[in-house]
Amino acid sequence: MSEIRRVLILVAATLLLAGCGSMVPTDFPADPDGTLDRVRDGGVLRVGASPRPGWVEVGDGPPAGREAELVTGFADHLAVEVEWTVAGEEELVRLLEDGKIDLAVGGFTDTNAWVDKVGLTRAYTEVEAAGTTEAHVMMVPMGENALQVELERWLDTQPTDGGGAS
Amino acid sequence: MSRTEDRMGPDGAGGSGHWFGHAELPPPQAESLRRAKRLEVITLIYMVTCVAVVFATAGSSQAMKTAWVEDSLALVPPLAFLVAVRLGRRRPTADHPYGFHRATGIGHLTAAIALLAVGLLLAVDSTMGLVRAEHPPIGTVRLLGHTFWAGWLMVAAMVYTGIGPFILGRMKLPLAEQLHDKVLYADADMQKADWMTAAGTIAGVLGIGLGLWWADSGAALLISLSIVRDGWTNLHYATTALMDERARTYDDEHPHPLTRRVDEVLADLPWVDDSRSRVRDQGHVFHVESFVRPASGRTPTLDQLEAAADLLRELDWKVHDVVVVPVRDLPETIPAPEEGPEHG
Repeated sequence: MSEIRRVLILVAATLLLAGCGSMVPTDFPADPDGTLDRVRDGGVLRVGASPRPGWVEVGDGPPAGREAELVTGFADHLAVEVEWTVAGEEELVRLLEDGKIDLAVGGFTDTNAWVDKVGLTRAYTEVEAAGTTEAHVMMVPMGENALQVELERWLDTQPTDGGGAS
Repeated sequence: MSRTEDRMGPDGAGGSGHWFGHAELPPPQAESLRRAKRLEVITLIYMVTCVAVVFATAGSSQAMKTAWVEDSLALVPPLAFLVAVRLGRRRPTADHPYGFHRATGIGHLTAAIALLAVGLLLAVDSTMGLVRAEHPPIGTVRLLGHTFWAGWLMVAAMVYTGIGPFILGRMKLPLAEQLHDKVLYADADMQKADWMTAAGTIAGVLGIGLGLWWADSGAALLISLSIVRDGWTNLHYATTALMDERARTYDDEHPHPLTRRVDEVLADLPWVDDSRSRVRDQGHVFHVESFVRPASGRTPTLDQLEAAADLLRELDWKVHDVVVVPVRDLPETIPAPEEGPEHG
């Protein structure tokens, strides 16, 4: 009908074609900031850890606990080393926003308040705690979809219970 | 002279049995009305399923939530049409001597506001997304033991919500013209916007898949501009029609040709020297007031006046409420229509 519409249809068609042309499973979806590629190329996964008993235990040496083990497993899957940063939850969110870390764990649940600032993985396990069901998630940089998809796929291959957390 | 109640169709051959007030619809219009009502009921049912599908796949995505609000607002025009048609069919009463045709105008206004609201909502939302440089996260879903990217599910949902408007909108457009129904036209217009929104959202989601974080908001912003324009145009003509603007075509593109034809027909009568008419759109049907200056100042007979009114009514089924008044001088308060070719 109008010029705007013709342009719109053209833009939509171009993007659709571009979408079809790159339907290679390995790099679709892609990261806007290339986090997953950088992790693979650099051989280092920078992980933020916030202590929570059973999930992330911090003492001497690298963090332990159920999620620390999962992160190590994911790093093995990517064939990279883990570089830990231990900090509080709020600090980890800021580091994720600034692109200083690639992943954060700390026994986070899907009801946490950071959903506007960071990307949350799909819940990978549910546990009963204090009479309610907690659905546990990890944090990734917002919109780094290749990393998020790779992590969620890998978490799906892991057993959903029998970990170290109570 | 005012029109007397005439239960026969304009051609005197009887009509379809379908009425807008005391205007009987010719058979083709009655058939169009029947189809339009059926299409709008189908639209309502379909849109409710769309709202459910989008709600189910939206997740935490802000863009999909906007699509959900938009689909909900798309329920307004079909509802407005069904209510307006139902009201507009009523016969005039002592309290409503003009009938209930204006229900269509109110329906048009309601639909226009819904359209404008959708456009503004989308524009604000996508602009905020661009300004804040939001990178939309789209992860995976697990269905039937398979893990796949949630973007594909959104694309599928958008294909579903886009196909219906694409077909329904095109089916409604010719009916809107035949019925001279502006609510139906606004609805068909909005459905065109719906399928473009769906196509734009698909492009945006695939763009995100390519790592272009701005694709979703960018596509949405472009689309919203076109919807805002449509909403504004509809709002403009819905309000001016309610303020008794000269009748316009069903798509509001031009003044309606009948507004000119009326004076042409009257001028052809041997006893008429000149005439000036006011034609306003009551909603489906027109209200015509013609001031006629008889040749050499002779007062016309009742038969001549009645014949003139009948002549006007025979022009079109929409010419419905006709008043022909003999006057000594054409009223100065009614400006002459500008010269030059009308309707394209």
